[in-house]
Amino acid sequence: MSRKDELLNLLKDELKGNFLAASSLEENRLFIDIKKEALVETANQLMRAGARYQMGVGYEARKNGRGLAMVHTFAFDADSLLVAIRALTTEDEPEFDSLTPFIPGAGWSEREYIDLLGLHFKNHPHPKRLVLSDDWPEGIYPLRQEVPYDLMPPAAEEVAFRLDEAPPGSSIIPFGPFHACLHEPAHFAVYVDGEEIKGCEYRGFMVHRGIEKLAATELTYNEIPFVAERICGICGSVHSVNYAQAVEAASGLKIPRRAEFIRTIMLEIERLHSHLMWLGVAGHLIGFDTVFMQAWRIREKIMWLAESLTGNRKTYGMVIIGGVRRDIDLTKAELIKKTLAEVEKDVQALEKAIIKDKSIHRRTKGVGYLSREKAKEWNLVGPVARARGLDIDARRDHPYAAYDEVKFEVVVADSGDVWGTLVVRIKEIYEAIRIIHQCLEKLASRLQGSPLAIEIEDPIPAGQQGLSVVEAPRGEAVHYVLTGDDNRPERWRVRAPTYPNLQAVPDMLLNNKLADFPIIVGSIDPCISCTDRVAVIDRRSASGRILSRQELEKLSREMRSKT
Amino acid sequence: MWLWNKIKQLAIPSRTGVVTLRYPYKPRPAPAGFRGQPVWDHTKCIGCAGCASNCPARTIFLRDICQEIRILLYDSSRCTYCGRCADLCPEKAITMSENFELATDHRQDITETMELFMMTCQRCGRCFDLEIKNALDKLQMLGYRYDSLEARKVIRQSTPELEPELLEKTATYRRPEKLEKSPCGKD
Repeated sequence: MSRKDELLNLLKDELKGNFLAASSLEENRLFIDIKKEALVETANQLMRAGARYQMGVGYEARKNGRGLAMVHTFAFDADSLLVAIRALTTEDEPEFDSLTPFIPGAGWSEREYIDLLGLHFKNHPHPKRLVLSDDWPEGIYPLRQEVPYDLMPPAAEEVAFRLDEAPPGSSIIPFGPFHACLHEPAHFAVYVDGEEIKGCEYRGFMVHRGIEKLAATELTYNEIPFVAERICGICGSVHSVNYAQAVEAASGLKIPRRAEFIRTIMLEIERLHSHLMWLGVAGHLIGFDTVFMQAWRIREKIMWLAESLTGNRKTYGMVIIGGVRRDIDLTKAELIKKTLAEVEKDVQALEKAIIKDKSIHRRTKGVGYLSREKAKEWNLVGPVARARGLDIDARRDHPYAAYDEVKFEVVVADSGDVWGTLVVRIKEIYEAIRIIHQCLEKLASRLQGSPLAIEIEDPIPAGQQGLSVVEAPRGEAVHYVLTGDDNRPERWRVRAPTYPNLQAVPDMLLNNKLADFPIIVGSIDPCISCTDRVAVIDRRSASGRILSRQELEKLSREMRSKT
Repeated sequence: MWLWNKIKQLAIPSRTGVVTLRYPYKPRPAPAGFRGQPVWDHTKCIGCAGCASNCPARTIFLRDICQEIRILLYDSSRCTYCGRCADLCPEKAITMSENFELATDHRQDITETMELFMMTCQRCGRCFDLEIKNALDKLQMLGYRYDSLEARKVIRQSTPELEPELLEKTATYRRPEKLEKSPCGKD
């Protein structure tokens, strides 16, 4: 009996009447519908069975009954199984039990839907505003259907984010929203006692752009990959591949093998440039600019390679639903091999020159330490988790694209600090080069001439769920798609790797020196735009009042007729 | 050991030399297949609106100013240069050029407008381009039909049949703007 059947039977036995339905379009996915009373119990059962919490998805349901739905997804890494549990509630009573007291990593996912969907989570320990701006009027929930995608309430004066109480005896040092050590807008209020950091509060989501709302109201299936690619300036290909995989999974499309190999190559080229970029930025953050200059010099070769392969340095635009747009033929393969040989040599030279430099060791060893248990509790992903001894990698654990056919090592370090992430990332550069070589070999030897994309003949059925993971350079990115009518998804949720990693930053900062703040935050390679995605604005209106549904509808109609 | 590392670090730049390009004094041509500014070939275009209805950034607009003249407007200010239009054009009338130096003070410099002469089919009353054979079949396949004398509207998205709702929507289409009154009831 497979692990999936075991879990299904276990949940059926335990939940009895609260278990509603289960569906499984693919072998490695399990979608379960439960009554909302059993949400906490089910989540606890799954966690006890060894699951890792991934993300929460909230949406206003149109198919399968009206109301508000909450989906929580879990990963079983050892059995390459992804499980999603879904519960529905009515609009009159938008309340779910909170998972956060048991699973701290669920905190943000739930706070996000307090803001965006007007849900309430019973027993949530910290139901503070997370996504919306402080002056966003109370009672307008952007992800509700009656709110138009281009609603722009006026800015309110004199509202500001209220910080939590600082620990006694400490002073607050603000970092951001714009600060030399942060590359994107985010605000960290760091509580310090002398030079030691005693705590930190994060206020982000300042570049929230409403992409998910846009996809659910305006865009069509095959336009979204190009928008998904622009979620992030670094791991764009990750998001477009991930979205396409989720739609393909939901609609049961099987894409050509050649396209899967080309997607793999592009993902690994992206990893190469991302890791080299991080290495440079990390060097810069600790004041070691030789690393910065040299790493970025090497990275430029990868950028030029991508430019000649895809037509652009960064936004590759390779992915559409059903395959890829451009081929990698033999001449292009030769170009890749030539560039990779140069890059490998350069990276080796750079590694040898810096790996024993005392200044790097002193600035990174023991800095930003987090124990393995803590890392597990926060559901860390990617190099940040692997540096803390967690042996997880979506490429191996949940193989997608062509990763089931290539051999590579998952690099794990156990130092638990910034040094560990540095080592993991440098070693992963060599693994990425290995993977690309294997893919090119297979493309040349047996996949010549097969098509690049399949024709989609039938419309994609509505109401199907698709879940996909891709190991981005920063860690595992998760996309959830619920197909809908009008040739567009009803709900598309993106969880970038920074989303769980950033939640653990306050713990990493604890008891470190203030001077190490930039490198600790930098060590997770925070991608703020990935994390923020969807957009609106955060200042709490002091005299805001809750609009009734009728008023809101009237407001939305006025907006619509005006635009 | 530490000193040895520093020597190695010095050796790397001396080995590689100067890598900075002399751009813009020395131009750096884009590689083949680069996705730069899209260029329309008016002799090939049949006015099917395939590009307009598939543009992810919605930068290609069509307007029928009278029964026989259809205007295609490409506004590059929002273009993401994905090259979807060039992929989907049935007549290969669009090519992604290698031109990437597009910064300008005037929007007109990067905007392209085409006037297409469309004939009316005597049997079905639809417009089609006479210059290229079988254009009518292609129009049917890609699904664009809009021919009304009185309405002179921008069509943002084409549909197989003329939809009155769509027409209504496009008639009043304006860019989103800020609410005049506060939704909290506070002015």
